[in-house]
Amino acid sequence: MPIPITDDAFEYLIARAGLTLTDAEKAELKSVCDGIAAMAARVRQPRGRMAEPALTYGFTEEDL
Amino acid sequence: MAAAIPTIAEAARQIAAKKLSPVELTRACLDRVHALDSRLHAFVHLTEERALADARAAEAAIMAGGAKGPLHGIPIGLKDIVDTKGIPTTCQSKLLQDNIPDTDATCTEKLAAAGAVLMGKLTTHEFADGGPSFDLPKPPARNPWNTDHFTAGSSSGTGAAVASGMILCGIGTDTGGSIRGPAALCGIAGLKPTYGLVSRAGVAPAAFSLDHIGPMAWTAADCAIMLQALAGHDPRDPASADRPIPDYRATLGGGIKAMKIGVIHHFHEVDHKVGAATQQGISAAIETFRGLGAEIREVQLSPLQDWHACGSLISIVERATAYEEWARTRLHDFGERMRTRLMLGAFVSGVDYVQAVRRRRELRAELKAAMSDLDVVLTAVFPNEAPKIDALPKWDVFHGPSFMMPFNVAGYPAMSVCSGFGAGGLPVAMQLVGKPFQEAAVLRLADAFEQATPFRNRRPAL
Repeated sequence: MPIPITDDAFEYLIARAGLTLTDAEKAELKSVCDGIAAMAARVRQPRGRMAEPALTYGFTEEDL
Repeated sequence: MAAAIPTIAEAARQIAAKKLSPVELTRACLDRVHALDSRLHAFVHLTEERALADARAAEAAIMAGGAKGPLHGIPIGLKDIVDTKGIPTTCQSKLLQDNIPDTDATCTEKLAAAGAVLMGKLTTHEFADGGPSFDLPKPPARNPWNTDHFTAGSSSGTGAAVASGMILCGIGTDTGGSIRGPAALCGIAGLKPTYGLVSRAGVAPAAFSLDHIGPMAWTAADCAIMLQALAGHDPRDPASADRPIPDYRATLGGGIKAMKIGVIHHFHEVDHKVGAATQQGISAAIETFRGLGAEIREVQLSPLQDWHACGSLISIVERATAYEEWARTRLHDFGERMRTRLMLGAFVSGVDYVQAVRRRRELRAELKAAMSDLDVVLTAVFPNEAPKIDALPKWDVFHGPSFMMPFNVAGYPAMSVCSGFGAGGLPVAMQLVGKPFQEAAVLRLADAFEQATPFRNRRPAL
């Protein structure tokens, strides 16, 4: 289970992204942003340091 | 009113035989726009004079023996994130209300070169993502089958305009289902081609590595005609594939005997269980394909939630990157839904993003292996008929995994095909997915299904 975000961490991430939000927007965003952590947990699997990311552009022959 | 709407293939035959005038066809489409668009809101900018000029030019050229092909003289529309020289391209955003591009997107150029008649720019969710929002410069498009209902998006205007016969085909873009979604809920055909097959140059980005441009039309055969004009290498797009382009119509009508279809049952029966009408449509489609001689197998992939998480993280970050400057300086000039997408970018770390891109490689390899002895895989597009337009969750990325996102993650060609109608009288659909650059196989199966079933004979009663 992802750890719920603290108020300080939440404010830091918003500030770091340069976003200016209303209090209502902050409250709503805080209620859903754990969903991002849950998604991140799904893609973070043991795969070792050598695992390459997908190429952004173009299918190579090995992809076909 | 909609009974006389021809497909592109039918209109092209009649135009070639000089039984249908491109000017008459264009006027008929314009009449439908004037009669219907105050209810459907499919157009953000109607280019009536340009359409008539294009149609007259097409007619003159054809009469003089200069026919260019099946799109010559055919009324089309472009999603309003596609650049059009001298014509507003607003992306349905307050931020671009005065934007008039000085060049055409590559897809705009290609359709013009094929002789298509430009009817105008079509409604989109803001920057192909934030919608349906009711705080944008123009209202969201409405579903022609029931205007209280959602079209899906983001190519919402293209879906509504094609289904209602205001145009014969249009351009959609697809980052997580924005061609296939509106095609499904509006009951038309929509093909997201292989990543790189159709140039993205001159089209506003949603998420660079997930963005695709493709055709939306009434039938698979019409999508094939449109894809023929759109596909091909473009040095203006760094992701453009440099490969030979086949004749996409060559195998249509040739039967599907011995084609191998894998059904990803667990996507739509376990991971995100679909409603009765969608399930019935898929089950009946499988029997139709079996009856036409196709071989049906079962396919097992990672859970749909894994594909959705992978694609969503990539999409959130790439969108936040593309629009970072405006998010920092003009956040509240975006509509509410686009703002939610941009806010989420703050919560995905750099490591999260790269882990998602590493997962993407694994998932693509998994799909490649699963399809090694198959031509196509099949699953749902949406769980149900179109919901009411005012009943959609604002943070929809967290409300059930998307059936479409897996094939943006993989970059594989995927198509929405109407597979019936639900209890509410709205369409339901299935999704057919091919191997990279094997659009012809997808189109062949979709066309065979359309020919074998009655669903292409029914238009919205407007």
